[in-house]
Amino acid sequence: MSTHVPSFTEPADRPTAPAWLLPTIIRFPRAGSEGAQRTATESLFEHTEVWGAFPADAGREQLVDELVRCKLTGRGGGHFPVARKWRGVMATAGGGYAVANGAEGEPLSAKDAALLQTRPHLVLDGLQLAAIATRAEHSVIWLHAGATATRASLAKAIAERRVAGLPGPHIQLITGPDRYLTGESSAVVNALSGGPPLPTFRRKHSSESGVNGAPTLLHNVETLARIAAIARGLDPTGHVERGGIPSALFTVLTPTGRTVTEIRPDTTLGQLVNSHVAETPQAVLLGGYGGNWVPWAEFQAIPASEPAAQLQGRSTGAGIVAPLPTDGCGIAETGRILEYLADSSARQCGPCLFGLRAVADLVSALARGELGRADRKRLERYRAEIDGRGGCHHPDGAMRLLASMFTTFAVDVDLHLRRGPCRADTGPRLIPVPSA
Amino acid sequence: MAANQHPVRLRVDPVACDGIGICTHLAPTLITVDSWGFPIVAGHPLSKRDRKSADAAIAACPRRALFLDDLPN
Ligand SMILES: Cc1cc2nc3c(=O)[nH]c(=O)nc-3n(C[C@H](O)[C@H](O)[C@H](O)COP(=O)(O)O)c2cc1C
Ligand code: SF4
Ligand code: SF4
Repeated sequence: MSTHVPSFTEPADRPTAPAWLLPTIIRFPRAGSEGAQRTATESLFEHTEVWGAFPADAGREQLVDELVRCKLTGRGGGHFPVARKWRGVMATAGGGYAVANGAEGEPLSAKDAALLQTRPHLVLDGLQLAAIATRAEHSVIWLHAGATATRASLAKAIAERRVAGLPGPHIQLITGPDRYLTGESSAVVNALSGGPPLPTFRRKHSSESGVNGAPTLLHNVETLARIAAIARGLDPTGHVERGGIPSALFTVLTPTGRTVTEIRPDTTLGQLVNSHVAETPQAVLLGGYGGNWVPWAEFQAIPASEPAAQLQGRSTGAGIVAPLPTDGCGIAETGRILEYLADSSARQCGPCLFGLRAVADLVSALARGELGRADRKRLERYRAEIDGRGGCHHPDGAMRLLASMFTTFAVDVDLHLRRGPCRADTGPRLIPVPSA
Repeated sequence: MAANQHPVRLRVDPVACDGIGICTHLAPTLITVDSWGFPIVAGHPLSKRDRKSADAAIAACPRRALFLDDLPN
């Protein structure tokens, strides 16, 4: 294996490739998956030089054992154990689908676009390993239709693999609408089965019925890239205790853009923010719109490694880190995010359709200083009523955000209730929120 | 509940449910409504008596949104 190391923008202590998933730090604008600071897409030839040939001899049982040993968890945000999902699908007769979820619906996230635009073959290796292990007949990569740069990079990579005759089913590139919910797993399955790209409620939870009722294994693209590394005997899982090759992948919101970067898991999220943002924030939004506000003092000490973070009752989710500067209003920001999440609802379930709108309206009114103490009780009641009652987990993320607003900005909530809006309410918005 | 019966709970499919609320009248001890009129279903294992009203609500639901689910062990 080559020790080719790109020499630009890398921290001095960066070990030799392929110790990290990404070839370099990648900067994106504040919104969208387009316009990444130009980074070259690795060709199949370059990919093979860095990572070695496609690990066609990684036996299915041995690979699952290795996934167990690495304790690899899903990077779509939920951190579900990967091996458990594989075992479920491997227990079926196969003949179904392996799906790479590259939709990246969360507007603050850019790590999936970064991976797909620089190292498409690593993700596709993972997809094909998953397809081969589960005896799938179809391999699909699922994207937002508007992700032009990502699509171009993948189309080229798929063509290169076809010419080279790499193992695995023919890879189909399929796109859905540029919406928040397009990447939710049941929406993906629904769309690939010929239905609308909307979430559905599943009465039975099983890996046995997916696309067109066939066994389906669906993973986030970062998860697949990690699987491709593990199949080669590397272990970029972010588990220091496993030795091997640790890394944790994050998207950090900065005043000028978003930076996709990797850090060692034995560092903290405080170090991550400090190395990209000059001003000390008051709080940080961890995990994106459906994540948690965390006060800076507490955030600083959260380990970058997911298992270590979980021991503290935290999760790094899909690795989104959005610091809120001291001149921002956490309530006004939360209100805008909740409005976006309410607008994004697929409008199929009562608690999601009516509940998210009601909560977003109340929080926005709170930011404007228009609520009284009774309204606070109403908000709390709504939160308890909505949580866990959607057909999918969309409303749960919104309620998580709301709960964290109450704890992280407790003093501000009180001041808004008693004295009206703060000065920041009329100031600029600091967390970018697109229109849904 | 009889020892030989598998424990089940009542659940609602929120996508199918239209929130008219017939079910709450048939199983008031199992189903309440939220602030928007949609059913909140108690998640506990059903007793024999619960099971009777649950079955009545399931049969009456115009959207076939209510169903019984094995409890996860
Ligand atoms: C509202 C909602 C939106 C989601 N959007 C995405 C997404 O854009 N991309 C993604 O990979 N996973 C997304 N997920 C998670 C997927 O449902 C699914 O769990 C994940 O893709 C599985 O991959 P993993 O096991 O590799 O994490 C979303 C989940 C929810 C509830
Ligand atoms: S909870 Fe919301 S987003 Fe999810 S299925 Fe129901 S209406 Fe759609
Ligand atoms: S009767 Fe059925 S459709 Fe009507 S509220 Fe109850 S569960 Fe929903």
